[in-house]
Amino acid sequence: MNELIPILTELRPGKDFSAAENFFDEGILDSLDLTTLVSALESRYGVFVDVDEMVPENFRSLAAIERFLAGKGVKI
Amino acid sequence: MKEPVIRRVLLVGDTTLDPLARMLERSPGMPSVKASAAPYGQIYQILLSSAHPAWDEKPDFLVVWTAPHLTLPSVDKLLRFNFTSADGEYESALAEVDQFADAVLQAAPRVGLVCVPTWILPAYERWIQTLGWRQGLGPAHLVAKANLRLAERFASQQNIVLLDSQFWQASLGRPAYDPRMYAVAKILYSSAYLEKAATEIKSILRGSLGQTPKVIVCDLDNTLWGGVVGDDGPENLKLGAPDPVGECYQAFQSALKGLRSRGILLAIASKNDEKLALSVIDDHPAMILRKDDFVGWRINWNDKAANIAQLAEEIKLGLDSFVFLDDSPQERDRVRQALPEVYVPDMPPSPSEYGPFLTSLNCFETPTLEKEDFERTHMYHADRGRNEIRNVSGGLDEWLRSLEIQVRAAPLRRETLSRAAQLLNKTNQFNLSLRRLDEKSFWDWSQGPSHSAYTFHVSDRFGDFGLVGLASLSVSGTEAQIVDFVMSCRVMGKQIEEALLGYTVARAQSAGAARVIAEPVDGPRNGPAKQFFGNKLSGDGLAPLDPAKVAVPSQISLQEEA
Repeated sequence: MNELIPILTELRPGKDFSAAENFFDEGILDSLDLTTLVSALESRYGVFVDVDEMVPENFRSLAAIERFLAGKGVKI
Repeated sequence: MKEPVIRRVLLVGDTTLDPLARMLERSPGMPSVKASAAPYGQIYQILLSSAHPAWDEKPDFLVVWTAPHLTLPSVDKLLRFNFTSADGEYESALAEVDQFADAVLQAAPRVGLVCVPTWILPAYERWIQTLGWRQGLGPAHLVAKANLRLAERFASQQNIVLLDSQFWQASLGRPAYDPRMYAVAKILYSSAYLEKAATEIKSILRGSLGQTPKVIVCDLDNTLWGGVVGDDGPENLKLGAPDPVGECYQAFQSALKGLRSRGILLAIASKNDEKLALSVIDDHPAMILRKDDFVGWRINWNDKAANIAQLAEEIKLGLDSFVFLDDSPQERDRVRQALPEVYVPDMPPSPSEYGPFLTSLNCFETPTLEKEDFERTHMYHADRGRNEIRNVSGGLDEWLRSLEIQVRAAPLRRETLSRAAQLLNKTNQFNLSLRRLDEKSFWDWSQGPSHSAYTFHVSDRFGDFGLVGLASLSVSGTEAQIVDFVMSCRVMGKQIEEALLGYTVARAQSAGAARVIAEPVDGPRNGPAKQFFGNKLSGDGLAPLDPAKVAVPSQISLQEEA
């Protein structure tokens, strides 16, 4: 299982994150979840997400989050 | 089993509190919470108007969390030197504090409990440190004064609780603010801080409902003292100065003694030689806790879970009232598996952390401290004396007569309300209806035209049990219903319940009732109440009590206070 899924499920229990193409368009996450997700990713992976990077685009799917983290030097 | 009660929490603030609402809902443990955050910045609209849609969900709890520089405009002006006269801003700020306090006071009657985190300036507002506490100028001084003013204004209001946010931040040890989140979503606080706040608020809610542990069972070797007394000998134990490890264990004992002094009972479960272990407790010069501080012990080589279960029977409390502290992970696992109701926190790896670990536990929260709390351990010891004479005296009647039991019945009063509410919410075994109400709701109910409530104070020649009984009636025409009938398990088995019921039924009759109904609910642990009332029924349809089976026993002297 993708290791991001437990982090996301902690945020929104019972939601299916594995198949979603866009968490925000599909109503699985909202903009408030985005802030909590950023905090969770920061403490888990030791990265810093700057204010201009806190946009749904970067966190809309498992692949998008992986790409974003890869840009910060974190490989999942 | 009854469905778990869900408590509704309304969050009102000057920043986005939605993440806190979600964290409160996710936070484990009782009570289950349904939380909603009102749109931020509408504090006065919501507090001052009961018609605001935020109240539609009929919340049980209200949290009003504001930041001083946002809710008190004059504080912001002081911070940014945006004033013609600092003195003037200072005065305005205090008027703003009163306005805020008035609004909270106006909203308070709509809910059971209001939590107001104290004001605190963001940690990045260094300002001019030299002047921060200067009277009539410094924001730090002003915010401290504003908090004190809130404490004064709320002092007589039992259902408003000021929460120490300074403590939250200090104990967090991580940044409490996140300027990015404020820029993105008007969330002033970091996720870590909001999680901390959620945990603390949840423990306050749990405490306000009275469902918190009452007993700590602790191990001895490497828990109360350093070393193994059977191997090392009493003289080689690490306990007390000058040994630094010994100081740590002494600090831990001192923290335990503090809890004992405010009503948490202490007991021991240890694999040891009983005589040797007790000699350390009695004689070691550095022991803070002595035999009198413990209400019971099982010092033997048996399974600790079985020992704790026995202690629960001896102390007459349910296992969910127990906390178990042991340095051994194996023993902790064993107790967790065998007795899942017992709360078994992990101990920190170093004894230097034992004291701080214990004093930072949030499971012993309580809305009030009563006389009964301060005297609890002493009362259990008096009970030991009673049981000892029971073993030498003849029959039950003779023993009861020798105790010289006195019961004082009185109508519920403001002065006895907080203890009565504590009893109502904490009692699980001798409880007819398991009705749980906060102080205000219980008082309001008891003042209803056909309602009445009575408290019972019990003492005997060994000592005072304090206020240990509560009964309430709802009378309609010639029929009365006993709504609550609650008695502390400490006085069970002395026919005191007979006296309480005799009095309650007499009150119902003098209010005009010919039939008195008492219907025990089917709760998980109120067997004693179910059995007692089951034996009092006359047996037809609605099962009224049989007056022939109700009487104050002759061994008990009952007095009535006007």
